[in-house]
Amino acid sequence: MTLLRRLASVARWVLRRKRVEQELQEELQAFIDISAAQKIRDGVEPAEARRLATLELGGVEQTKERVRSFRHGGLIDQFSRDLRYAIRTLAKQPGFTLVVVLTLAMGIGANTAIFSLFDALMLRWLPVEKPQELLLLNMQPTDAREPGQTLSYAIVKGLAEHSEIFEGVAGFSGFPLDVGPAGTVTTQNGAIVTGGYYSTLGLNAVAGRLLAEEDDRPGAPPVAVLSYGYWQREFAHNPGAIGQSIPLNGVPVTIVGVSPRGFVGANVGNIADITIAAAALPQIAPDAAPLLAPGNFWLRALVRPGSDISIDETNARLAALWREIGDRVIAPHWPASRRKSMADAVFSLTPGGTGWTFLRGTYEKPLLVLMAIVGVVLLIACANVASLLLARASARRREMAVRLAIGASRRRIIGQLLTESLLLAFSGAALGIAMAWLSARFLVATISSGPFPFPVMFDLTPNWHTLGFTAGIASITALLFGLAPAFQITAVRPSSVLVDGSRGSSRSRLLPSLVSFQVALTLVLLITASLFVRTLHNLQTLDIGFNREGVFVAGLEGRRTAVSSDVLAAVLQAPGVLSASLSTHTPLSGSYWSEPAVPAGQPLPDGDTALFVGAGPSYFETMQTPLVAGREFTERDSAQAGAVALINEAYAARFFPKQNPLGQGLSARVRGQLRDLEIIGVVKNTNAVGLRRPPRSTVYVSYAQLTGDFPTTLSVRTSGSLGQSASSIQKVLREKLPNSPVQVQPISRQVQAQMVQERMMATLASGFGILALLLACIGLYGLLAYRVARRTREIGIHMALGAERKRVTAMVLSGAARLVAFGILLGLPAAWAVSRWIEELLFGLKPTDPATAGVAIALLMIVSLVAAYLPARRASRVDPMIALRHD
Amino acid sequence: MEKLDVPQGTLDLMILTILSREPMHGYGISQKLAALSHDTFQVNPGSLFPTLYRLEQDGKVKAEWAPTENNRNAKYYKLTAAGKKQLERHRERWERIQFAITGVLEGA
Repeated sequence: MTLLRRLASVARWVLRRKRVEQELQEELQAFIDISAAQKIRDGVEPAEARRLATLELGGVEQTKERVRSFRHGGLIDQFSRDLRYAIRTLAKQPGFTLVVVLTLAMGIGANTAIFSLFDALMLRWLPVEKPQELLLLNMQPTDAREPGQTLSYAIVKGLAEHSEIFEGVAGFSGFPLDVGPAGTVTTQNGAIVTGGYYSTLGLNAVAGRLLAEEDDRPGAPPVAVLSYGYWQREFAHNPGAIGQSIPLNGVPVTIVGVSPRGFVGANVGNIADITIAAAALPQIAPDAAPLLAPGNFWLRALVRPGSDISIDETNARLAALWREIGDRVIAPHWPASRRKSMADAVFSLTPGGTGWTFLRGTYEKPLLVLMAIVGVVLLIACANVASLLLARASARRREMAVRLAIGASRRRIIGQLLTESLLLAFSGAALGIAMAWLSARFLVATISSGPFPFPVMFDLTPNWHTLGFTAGIASITALLFGLAPAFQITAVRPSSVLVDGSRGSSRSRLLPSLVSFQVALTLVLLITASLFVRTLHNLQTLDIGFNREGVFVAGLEGRRTAVSSDVLAAVLQAPGVLSASLSTHTPLSGSYWSEPAVPAGQPLPDGDTALFVGAGPSYFETMQTPLVAGREFTERDSAQAGAVALINEAYAARFFPKQNPLGQGLSARVRGQLRDLEIIGVVKNTNAVGLRRPPRSTVYVSYAQLTGDFPTTLSVRTSGSLGQSASSIQKVLREKLPNSPVQVQPISRQVQAQMVQERMMATLASGFGILALLLACIGLYGLLAYRVARRTREIGIHMALGAERKRVTAMVLSGAARLVAFGILLGLPAAWAVSRWIEELLFGLKPTDPATAGVAIALLMIVSLVAAYLPARRASRVDPMIALRHD
Repeated sequence: MEKLDVPQGTLDLMILTILSREPMHGYGISQKLAALSHDTFQVNPGSLFPTLYRLEQDGKVKAEWAPTENNRNAKYYKLTAAGKKQLERHRERWERIQFAITGVLEGA
């Protein structure tokens, strides 16, 4: 039979169900009638003949059921009947249904939200041709501890020239670009790529053409490719945009094409709206041109291996090629030892189809921890729903007994109950997806406030990964919470329930163990949450060596030489400004500068020994970094005066142990020039590169004595309202520096940005901890309320025999306390294991901090006693007379 | 004599054979099966009807309601062309099996 006919047959049987049912009934009736008539003719009494005929058929309903399950579409039919029955049953108990669906929606929604982020960051293929073939190139010089993914321009170009190994090599890096004519300049996310980028990824232009090798040659005219989204936003899909000129960093650049829809670069999370070739850097961003030199490692490279070469063969050929070209592409000015370590570098290839993002390194562990947390929340929610179903199950014992007695098989009833569970789980999942969709956006916004020079953006539209994941956990959830009640409820002997009529005497041991299990999981979450909260608190109260409150910073990017002093003078005139200073860098800004510097007389090493900051007068006053000895820079430390420096305590401790560094000399290389500096002061350490890292040795040099090209940041200390100060500073800067996009922001934001991951973990972990606590308490309350209701008669007898109300209350409470205590005993070792796992995410405390565990246990006990008190009080109010008359 | 259950997979063959002689209703089929097998095979309605419904769905038999000799309406099953073909195929196969089994039993 053809498939089509089979389907038609299924459809017919499903659609004509009613008539078929009726016909079946009539046919079976005819069977009995004819059989009876035969027996009467053979001389059996009519009544006896009918009885025998009915017995012969062996149960009308069972036969019907077998016919139904045998025919095509039988399963669909059965399922749709179960589904209708489930909908009717649940609709009759809207309160119960609502509580269950909401509980599941929270559990499933939380899982979907975290998973969709995990998927976007870790699992999603790049929208390119055969992404599974792409490999990420790793290089490990012999002096590196682990393989790195950054390569120099020369290395990427060198490898790309040898097509016998790779079909293509795509080098790329994110790069912000100032777009637009003077006055309306905005900073856009861009990318710098090598010539083989688009061809390696196998992409074709939507309009115009994409970048090719000839665009990546020195002196080629600068051209740009737009992302589809940018073309849509800024040019309204106008094909006329191709060939137009667009000012990038003030340089006119020709738009040559638009990349395919959905593709926003290989740098995941950092959307590239405008892409230019690396060779165009000297023209578009002259100050970044040194990036092209062989000593700078900044490009990541995806490669597409040749189709007929094995991975071992590829690695072998790569090693051979490196011996051949290595010498040509390693920076010639590097010391011999470093060149040797580069020449002996080992290359390796790792899967690259999901692109590259540094966010993976930072967020992989936190997201895994969050996945575990929401998984536990879902387990707790499941336990809650299971206990609700179990409690309801005892109310339905009679219904089940009747159904079993009239011939329903146990399998059918379990199937029907599981259909009910599936319906609940999938309703919860549908609501959960909506909740996840909203909350995942909020999470991305949180991550985006981190210390990154670009907004983090992800494609979070539900795809088959996330929908499949949600459907999967919904099904597992339904089995978890539905199976136990379904088996328990059908494990009754119909006779006993129907005869003695009342509740069965078997007390479920499943319910209390579910509550203990919930308590254990909740304890784990609470301890985890308080570890994260204390980590955040430790970071927030850390002494970072400067006062983060009341200081604004404005990066004067694009100006790579000294800012004229009248800018500073104008800012000082603005209302509310207490002090202001120029510097090359500010703490925690994300960029820093290091150089070799040693006490005078010692030989200058190859490697850098200190962080360097060029600071103007009043810099330390503005930052409120305490001066330990000497003085800070003043107007007198100008280009004409003798070169001076301040050092921090860490530098003093390392290079001038047990000496007074004041007045001593330093020899240093400062922006390529050898300088002799005189130490005029010592300042306190500041956490310049990160909160978690110990402060590094630092040398401060006078801003006015710098030469060459360097960045400038303006720092301003103000009093009064933050918003007003920011806008008045912004106004002054816009007048003085009309051609630079200036963004004034409080330095506290730079500090906060360092704690985004910790804040996210603290907020989410405590949110989920509280949710878990709430669910566990509802579970405990439900169990006790149910127990008290069932034991009303027993309690009544106790009281009739003279038990005091207090004793009854104590009896219920001690029952609760036993469950909670057992849960805590179960949860403590689990919490210990979990806190060891998250140790690397913590700061300033031991994972096995007894105080943290103590607080969590105390909180859990108090809240659960409150939950237990209500049923306990109800028990103590039982009126013996009423209780004893009750059934 | 002890009654036996119908061997696995042969109920189709027997039902089709019975129906190839004349159209018949469910009770008739079960009686005929018992009579022709010298009361050896017992097919209970719980197996008979599902099989009949399946054959009907697969287009091997057709059913229509007609009066019995006692004027009781009953559902009569009748072989279709496809059913006839199926019967021939099953029969041929069954004969081969029989031949093979006999060969083994007597040759040993």
